[in-house]
Amino acid sequence: MIQASNISHFYGSEQVLFDLSFEIKSGEFLFLSGESGSGKSTLLSILSTLLKPSMGELLIDTEAVDKIKNIDYFRQSKIGFVFQFHYLINYLSVYENIALAAMDNKKENINRILDELGILELSSRYPNEISGGQRQRVAVARALVNEPKIIFADEPTGSLDSKNSTIVYGLLAEAVKNGTTVVVASHDMQIQNYATKIIRLKDGQIL
Amino acid sequence: MISLKALSKNPFKSLLIFSSITIAVMAIFLISSVSQGIIGMFSKMIKTDGDIIITQKGISDTFFSNVNIALMDKIDKLEHVTTSYAMIVGASPIGHIPIAGIYGTSANHFSHYKLSSGKYPNEGEVILGENLAKQFTTKNINIGNKNFEISGTYSSEIGFEEGGVVMNMGDAGNLFNRSASFILVSSDSPNEIDEIVKKISNLNSEIEVKTTQNFVKEYNQFKIIENSSFVISTLAFAMGLMGIASVMSMIVNSRKEEFGIMRALGKSRFFIIKNLFFETLIMSFSAYLFALFLSFGILALLPHIEMLQGYVNGTLSLTSAIYVLASTLFMALLGSLFPAWIASKTDPILLINQGCA
Repeated sequence: MIQASNISHFYGSEQVLFDLSFEIKSGEFLFLSGESGSGKSTLLSILSTLLKPSMGELLIDTEAVDKIKNIDYFRQSKIGFVFQFHYLINYLSVYENIALAAMDNKKENINRILDELGILELSSRYPNEISGGQRQRVAVARALVNEPKIIFADEPTGSLDSKNSTIVYGLLAEAVKNGTTVVVASHDMQIQNYATKIIRLKDGQIL
Repeated sequence: MISLKALSKNPFKSLLIFSSITIAVMAIFLISSVSQGIIGMFSKMIKTDGDIIITQKGISDTFFSNVNIALMDKIDKLEHVTTSYAMIVGASPIGHIPIAGIYGTSANHFSHYKLSSGKYPNEGEVILGENLAKQFTTKNINIGNKNFEISGTYSSEIGFEEGGVVMNMGDAGNLFNRSASFILVSSDSPNEIDEIVKKISNLNSEIEVKTTQNFVKEYNQFKIIENSSFVISTLAFAMGLMGIASVMSMIVNSRKEEFGIMRALGKSRFFIIKNLFFETLIMSFSAYLFALFLSFGILALLPHIEMLQGYVNGTLSLTSAIYVLASTLFMALLGSLFPAWIASKTDPILLINQGCA
């Protein structure tokens, strides 16, 4: 599903990732662990096509990412994201936030997913009118709406209490059961209970 | 539509952009239209009262011109000349008013000033423009250490005249020590104007004779006002437009996180730029209309402000309104789309992180 070869990355003159190579198979639940500054968020951004690596090659679904002509469509159709701070757009309602991400032929999924996540009644509310846990569930709904092949999550429970964290992990584990590949970068060791593979990073290198 | 949602869900930010654009556009409008208005008033005063104007040769300003009034007898006898009249224009403190326009005119021109009360002035008398009259309750006024009786009031569409004083030629001649500032001549045959100009020129070597159209075009004072107004308007215009571009650019930069999220969700650069284009268009066009409306309101109020004696009038031409509209939209779009285009080329995660910073 994802083949990373000799990935290195620099911010200015500072190297943060050093020649990383690994493979993630379809349907895996990968846990990227490491301390702050270990490079896990940068690696997640590169794997999810949100950041171009300074060096190395990345293949997703056998396609070389730097050769993809329409990266926007590729991202929308194959990748879902869950960020630490949910990153919902504040002037759009819950429904509109999800509809913004949805492809035309996937809009019919919106209400079903909202219902499955137990937030259907919030669909007309705005992000500032719901709780942190509810916002993160909306962010998960947004990531699921296009039925992507891969979901990337960066500290998805970083701003949640343990109850809401368990809900979010449960939702991601459910996606894995349905054949989705999930890659999560986190400090939270609770995720080990769900992961099928763990990559530990330290100072930009795989331990 | 996302553009309208974005504007309506951030009312404070939207109001700030709207106000900044409105003030910038209003500054452009008011400065340029007040200068246009001053020139317009002068030229209207001269153009409407005659076809030909006679001034002293080599004098740059009618205030310094001295033409012999006796020329009028010879001019009146020329073929196709219907009327001629003389005027003295000057300025002087009047009572507590630091400066006001004084117009001495021959009796056949009094009818130009529409009486609203009293009668036209005889020797030792004056009539006051309505704006000036509001500031005097006495029956007499002092002009240049001479006492004049107020015989009536008049109204005029021209701001300078509304805030001025009209007297007969004899009194004005004594006050300003000249025969006439200029003589205006009307003709019944537009085709003969050039011929009449030649004939009048031949009557006296110390005069300069021009059609009023040419005079307005070539008058040095107008050129000075026009040039100064051009410089001031251009500066106001540039500052206003730079302000619009800066505001839009700051707003776009503050929304980098949002653009990063959209890119991460698979939205194209075109999608982001298209929405921003409509937002900017809606905002700048409505601010322009509001500024135009306010400018019309302020320009309509100016002649009624007592302190200004009606001297400050503004003219807003359709050409300048269209020009300002085009420039406003261009600068607003440039200010928003250029940084948005630059931002759209950045990696989404960097945009998101920059937005958080």
